[in-house]
Amino acid sequence: MSLPSPTAQPAYQPKIIGFLCNWCSYAGADLAGTSRMQYPPNIRIVRVRCSGRVSAELVLKTFHEGADGILVLGCHIGDCHYIDGNHRTSKRIPMLRQLLDYAGIEPERLRLEWVSAAEGDRFARIVGEFTDQIRQIGPIKRVMVT
Amino acid sequence: MDQESLVQALRKAVQELMPQVDGVIALRRVGDAAAAHLYQPGDDLSDLTVAAQFPLPTSVRLIQARYPDKTFGVVVRGCDERQLIELAKRQQINLERLRLIGVACNAEQAQGCKCDLPFPSKLDFGEAVDGVPQDFLDEFLAKSRQERLEFWKHAFSKCLKCYGCRNICPECFCKQCVLEEGLWVKTGAVPPPFPMFHLIRAMHTIGKCIACGECERTCPADIPLTLLYKLLRRDVESVFGYHAGADPNEAPLMDSTIFLADMELLRPSQKG
Repeated sequence: MSLPSPTAQPAYQPKIIGFLCNWCSYAGADLAGTSRMQYPPNIRIVRVRCSGRVSAELVLKTFHEGADGILVLGCHIGDCHYIDGNHRTSKRIPMLRQLLDYAGIEPERLRLEWVSAAEGDRFARIVGEFTDQIRQIGPIKRVMVT
Repeated sequence: MDQESLVQALRKAVQELMPQVDGVIALRRVGDAAAAHLYQPGDDLSDLTVAAQFPLPTSVRLIQARYPDKTFGVVVRGCDERQLIELAKRQQINLERLRLIGVACNAEQAQGCKCDLPFPSKLDFGEAVDGVPQDFLDEFLAKSRQERLEFWKHAFSKCLKCYGCRNICPECFCKQCVLEEGLWVKTGAVPPPFPMFHLIRAMHTIGKCIACGECERTCPADIPLTLLYKLLRRDVESVFGYHAGADPNEAPLMDSTIFLADMELLRPSQKG
């Protein structure tokens, strides 16, 4: 596999914010890192205590501040450190996606996935997929500037 | 039964209920309008009326907070009953200390509210009429994504940030409101920057909005807020089977331990 030349880099680099739960997904990302797995550097990771902490206003504010995509990663259902924190996430984020869609913002910019501490490869794959997807959708500026 | 005889029968029922309770909360005719009133034993009931539009549950909540030991009768329409149930789920009112008298709205009133369920589950007076079809939701979704964005940007750009939608909402009872926090909604900015104010509020209505439409009617800028809330409400009903205001023993949806096992159940529209 040959490395792409620096000039072949796509001009647009999406800014992606990842809200990762402390107990599963952050450890999963850590595993991806210590295992030397490759994934795009576009994601900026914010560690949160629980994916249930990621409120609608937090997501909307992050978009408003210029994030092109937001990835919310939490423990699998049943594995939540706080027992049912991610049960709320499982309803809130899909409903927020619906709301974004109704309001005319691409719901694909927001994605929720469950990633355990052992799923470093899954983390790297999700980040790769999501970054490609956001690169295709384009910058959020178009949406947010009034 | 015409409207006049319905009101007559209602006054009679309130009169009969009065000895068993400390008062009855109902609507009272004030000029051409109607407003909430606490009728006490011995009061003249000749101005008691019914009207399609008034956020009565707010009055019930405040009166009950002031007199927690008293028992009140309440004349409820479909929307009032469902709102009271949602408030009771969140410990804002005590249903056990309320005696509800259910009144149906007539077809004309239902049309005025675009109400999809213009009668309470326990109906005492009036005849239940069919709800108004909610076709306008799908008509809105037929727009392209770009059109929807332009639609809401235009609508929200008219916002004066008067907080009328929140203040009138019977389900908005928080003592501290995120819409007043500068962290989320920039202070001193009118209109509030898209998409902060209105989309936050829309998310906070999920699971408790029963689509009474008071927010939209009170809005001085005519922002079609219920359109947005009704779209979310329809998803909540179809995906979670959660009907706001139906069952007082059900846990509030967004705070409950129910989880959405299949996230694909909520599939955003594919239109670009």
